[in-house]
Amino acid sequence: MTMAATSQDRPAEAAASQDGKRSDRTFWLLAPGVIWMLLFLVLPIAMMVYVSFWTQTTFKIEPTLTLKSWITFFSSDTYIGALWTTVRIWLIVLVATLVVGYPAALFVGLFVRNKTLSTALLVLCVIPFWTSFLIRVLAWRPMLGKEGAINMILMNLGIVDQPIEVLLFSELSVIIGMTQIYCVFMVGPIAFMLGRIDPSVLEAAQDLGAGFWRIFRTIILPLSMPGVVVGAIFVSVMVLGEFATAAALSGRKVNLLGNIIVTQVGSLKWAFAAVAGVVLTVLMGIVVAALLRVVDLRKEL
Amino acid sequence: MRLASDWIGADVSAVLQLKNVHRSYAGVPALAGIDATLPNDAYVSLLGPSGSGKTTLLRVIAGFEPADGGQILFAGRRIDGVPPHQRGIGFVFQNFALFPHLSVRQNIAFGLESRVVDPVTDVKIVAGRVRDMIALVGLAGLEDRAITQISGGQKQRVALARTLVTEPSMVLLDEPLGALDANLRTRMRGELRKIRERCGVTFLHVTGSETEALAMGDTVLVLDRGRIAQSADAGTLYSRPASPDVARFLNCFNIFSGELADDAFVSPVGRLALGDARQPSAKPAYAIRYDRVSIRPKDAAPAGDEVRIEGSFVASEYSGAAINSFFALDDGRVFEVETHLSHAAPENYEERGRYALVWKKEDSLVFA
Repeated sequence: MTMAATSQDRPAEAAASQDGKRSDRTFWLLAPGVIWMLLFLVLPIAMMVYVSFWTQTTFKIEPTLTLKSWITFFSSDTYIGALWTTVRIWLIVLVATLVVGYPAALFVGLFVRNKTLSTALLVLCVIPFWTSFLIRVLAWRPMLGKEGAINMILMNLGIVDQPIEVLLFSELSVIIGMTQIYCVFMVGPIAFMLGRIDPSVLEAAQDLGAGFWRIFRTIILPLSMPGVVVGAIFVSVMVLGEFATAAALSGRKVNLLGNIIVTQVGSLKWAFAAVAGVVLTVLMGIVVAALLRVVDLRKEL
Repeated sequence: MRLASDWIGADVSAVLQLKNVHRSYAGVPALAGIDATLPNDAYVSLLGPSGSGKTTLLRVIAGFEPADGGQILFAGRRIDGVPPHQRGIGFVFQNFALFPHLSVRQNIAFGLESRVVDPVTDVKIVAGRVRDMIALVGLAGLEDRAITQISGGQKQRVALARTLVTEPSMVLLDEPLGALDANLRTRMRGELRKIRERCGVTFLHVTGSETEALAMGDTVLVLDRGRIAQSADAGTLYSRPASPDVARFLNCFNIFSGELADDAFVSPVGRLALGDARQPSAKPAYAIRYDRVSIRPKDAAPAGDEVRIEGSFVASEYSGAAINSFFALDDGRVFEVETHLSHAAPENYEERGRYALVWKKEDSLVFA
């Protein structure tokens, strides 16, 4: 009896210790990633926080700790204004990408049941990304300008007498440009989640007597929410950190936090740029945390 | 005996009538003129090999796919062209198709709350009917579980309850036991029949398993190449299949092809004496059930009313109450014999040994 028990225990122990060794070894797979992230993400962020408390004079910066840069940031209308502009544009672009992207995703992910075709359609969405960011942004100028394509068409059709000037070098043009560029990041995750819905689940809902809107509200929308949240996180993080679209399409009328950072770094105001950087990072952290609250992604994916 | 096929015509006791229903995919016919009548308050099983069009037929009845031609009458009303949510026919999917983000209770309440026609808006009435249905299918205590937290058999019950709570006049079940393991499958057979009896609605149960079809159905419809090949009660179907093809699906007949000549059937293994049982059929064939054959030593003489052929033993398969022995006949075909062990202890046959395979000619069935 005892003999039998011990001889049975032994392979189990051996297996356990082997498992232990294996998990020790697999742990090393993380090492390159962890080292990379420590050196190039955690350390720079810590550095940024640290530098934001340094003393900035016109021509140089000294590692003497002070709150001066922070006080200046929060007492300046320009910077607080930039913060609110960033938040406003982020919210508008987020809603716009959702409004434009969700129906497209619904079509690609749910109504195109041929997998090859739906993949092809998603690839079509990505085609604008085959050109550089700058060209994509600048291409809006001949479209939206005072003598641009849209105004010419509207005037030739007799819909307007005067060219619409607000189309370019305004907040509107920034929103149009950003929505176009980031929409695909909303479409992708939503289409993916919709594509995972079992068609027979929708047939079952139909069979139980529900009409389309009811099925959409109670089945399709809840099942696609993880996609909406992931898409919203992509769009939010990218829009909040934006500066190029605003610079190219607003004629410097729209200043986002990103533009502030670029200007301050350009004039070697490192402490100031660091303050704006910390504010932006905290803002992104809050936004992502709030979005993750909407859906438990670990459960849904 | 009244068979379902006798009921063609407008009949009050019929819940569903199919008249010459057609459906083809890219020119390939899946349903080639289905005529069938399903009685009210009955368990009907629809048996067919894979590719016979049984799922297509179910989807056409439910309205998920249009019929190319023919009529579908449900409770006396034409429903071809009516969208699925207005048909009042329940559908239980093979993979259950439960709403993954809703609880057991919410899944069952969905139909009552969400239907376009006459939705139940009173929360108390919904709760009461859901509670009754949960009790009926035996899910008490699991109301608030998520769908991901229940077992396969419980999912099957939720799928059934979700459909039955809307009080359909008929429920279509697409291989409802296919996703369950063998043990549970046998148990759910009895459950399904009991639940149906309590509700008093017609169940149309699609299956590829002949044992399931025979065990479950008051009436069994056999579907073959897009047509109803036979419609009969289980006993009739098993003892008198309507065609050699139906006999083949039942998986319990040895079938010889050949020709009828006066007093005997001429087959590749010799002349076989005839009994009285005849079925009209375009293709002549001679069938003998696995369990009607006895295995004797090669030199034992047959009695006057017996048919005898010879074969060499290949292998046997033990399945608890019965043993199936396989013999190779002289033309190379395999002949199967089922011996019930309640009648005799299993004998050991010599491999490649020659044995006489003997049956009473009255037990044979001739298609001609």
